[in-house]
Amino acid sequence: MRPLDEKETTQVFEKLFKFTGPNLKHLLERPAVEGPDAEPGRYCLRLNRNRVYYASEALVRRATAVSRPRLAGVGTPIGKFTHHGAFHLTVHALDLLAAHARRRVWLKPDTERSFLFGNSVPKSSLARITENTKVGDGVVVMSMADVPLGFGIAARSAQDCRKADTNAVVVLHQADAGEYLRKEEELM
Amino acid sequence: MAEVPALVAAASSCEVDLGNLIAYDPSYHVAAAAAAAASREELRQECLRKGTELAQAVADALFALPPSEDGDGPIVHLPPPTVRLPREKHLPKPKPPTKWELFAKAKGITKRKKNKREWDEQTQSWKRTYGYDRVNDDKDIAIVEAKLTDEPGVDPFAQRRDEKKKRVEKQEKNRLENLKKAAKIGALPSHIQLAAKALPIKGTKADLPKKSRKEDLESVVGMASSATASGGKFDEKLLGEKPPKHPGKHRKFLPVAEGKGMGSLEKQQNDKILNSLLARNSDEPLDVGKASFRIQLLK
Repeated sequence: MRPLDEKETTQVFEKLFKFTGPNLKHLLERPAVEGPDAEPGRYCLRLNRNRVYYASEALVRRATAVSRPRLAGVGTPIGKFTHHGAFHLTVHALDLLAAHARRRVWLKPDTERSFLFGNSVPKSSLARITENTKVGDGVVVMSMADVPLGFGIAARSAQDCRKADTNAVVVLHQADAGEYLRKEEELM
Repeated sequence: MAEVPALVAAASSCEVDLGNLIAYDPSYHVAAAAAAAASREELRQECLRKGTELAQAVADALFALPPSEDGDGPIVHLPPPTVRLPREKHLPKPKPPTKWELFAKAKGITKRKKNKREWDEQTQSWKRTYGYDRVNDDKDIAIVEAKLTDEPGVDPFAQRRDEKKKRVEKQEKNRLENLKKAAKIGALPSHIQLAAKALPIKGTKADLPKKSRKEDLESVVGMASSATASGGKFDEKLLGEKPPKHPGKHRKFLPVAEGKGMGSLEKQQNDKILNSLLARNSDEPLDVGKASFRIQLLK
C-alpha cells in the first residue's frame, strides 16, 4: 500500500472530475464518517497492487498494521491501473459517484435490464437526463426509483438527445451493478 | 521635434535597397567623422546619429510601399534586391577525371545511350536493362553446358556468383579510389563531404575511444554487484569496497501514513493537482437557463 505519486493522482482526479466537476474538492476534503476514532480525519487515496482505494485516514493508519502480502484492500476501491498505466474507474466507485456526480440519467423501467447486462444506453431507454449535460461528461445512470445502476460517459449533450434517433447511443457504458454477478472473479 | 527636418534632408541622400532592407549613404565618410570626434563618447554619439538617419530612411521607404490588409495587419511585398551580396562559400572546384574517364578519353570511347528494354535471347522476350526482371539475369540460366576444361565437382552457378561478387568489389574499390583522389584536391562531391565529416577520421584524436567518467563506472559497478541471485546482499565485499549508493530502491514514494494519516506533503501534492485541475476547467459558461429559472422563482 502506498500513496499515489503525482502522475497517478492527476490521472485519478481527472477521471473523477469528469463526473463530479468542482464537487471533487468536496469529495476529497469532506470529514470522514467511517472509522472508530472520534475524529476520523479526511479521506485519502491509496494504491495497493494496481487498485486505488478511497479510505479515511483512521482506516489507513490501522491498515499499516497488516503485512503487505496479506492486505487485500483498504476502504472503498474506486478503480484500477491497467498494465500499461491507464486508470479506469470500476463499479465499486458507484456509491461514491452517485452521491457526488453532477449529471444523472434516468432509465425507463423496462430497459434497465439491458444496461445491467453491459449495453450502452440508447435514446429509447432514456426517461430523464440532467439539463446541462455536455458531450464527454461523466453520467450516473439511475433507475426511476432513484437507485444507481451504473455510470458511463455522455455521448450526446442534453439538447442533442432530443433531436437524436431512437437508437442513437446516449450514454456509453463504463460500469454497471450487474458486473458484480457477471465479472465476479475479475472484480475481487 | 526640431531634429525631424534635418533627418529628412539627410535621408534623401541615402540609397535604400528595400529587397535587403539596407540603406547606404555614399557621401558619408566615417574616417572623417572619427577624426573630427573629440572623444570615444562623441564618436559613439555620432555613429548612433548616423545609424538612426539610415534606419529612418529604411523605415520611410518601407512605410511608403502600398500595404495590403490581412487578418494580422498590413502586409507589404518587398521589391527584389538591387545590391548583389558576395558569395558566402567558395566556388566548387572541378572534380578530377576518374580512372575510367581517363582511359575512355585515351581510347576514344564515347558514351552511348542504352535503351530501357532489350531483347533477351535466353527467355526470348523483351526485358529491362537493369532491375527486376532484367536481361541476362543469372536467375534465368537453367543449364550451363560443361566445357572440357571443367573439373568435376565444381559448381558453375556458384562460380558465376563468385565472379560477380569479385567484379562488384573491384568496382567499389575503384569508386573509393576516385573519391580519395578528388578529396585530396578538395573537390569531393557535396553529399559525400557531409558524410565524411560525420565519422572521425581514423588515426586522429577524435577517433580515440572516449574515457568513461567516474559516475558511469560507479553505476556499472553498482549494477554488476547487485546482479546476483540475492541482489548482492550476501557477497563478500572486497577490501575498501563501499556499499552501493542506491541499494535496491530507485523510486521514492510518500510515506503511507504520517501523523494522523495523510502527511503534509501528500496534502500539498493533492491540493496542487486539484487546484490546477479546477483552474483549467473553470471557464464553464454561465448556465443561462438555470440563472433565468432562479430569477423567475424569486419573482
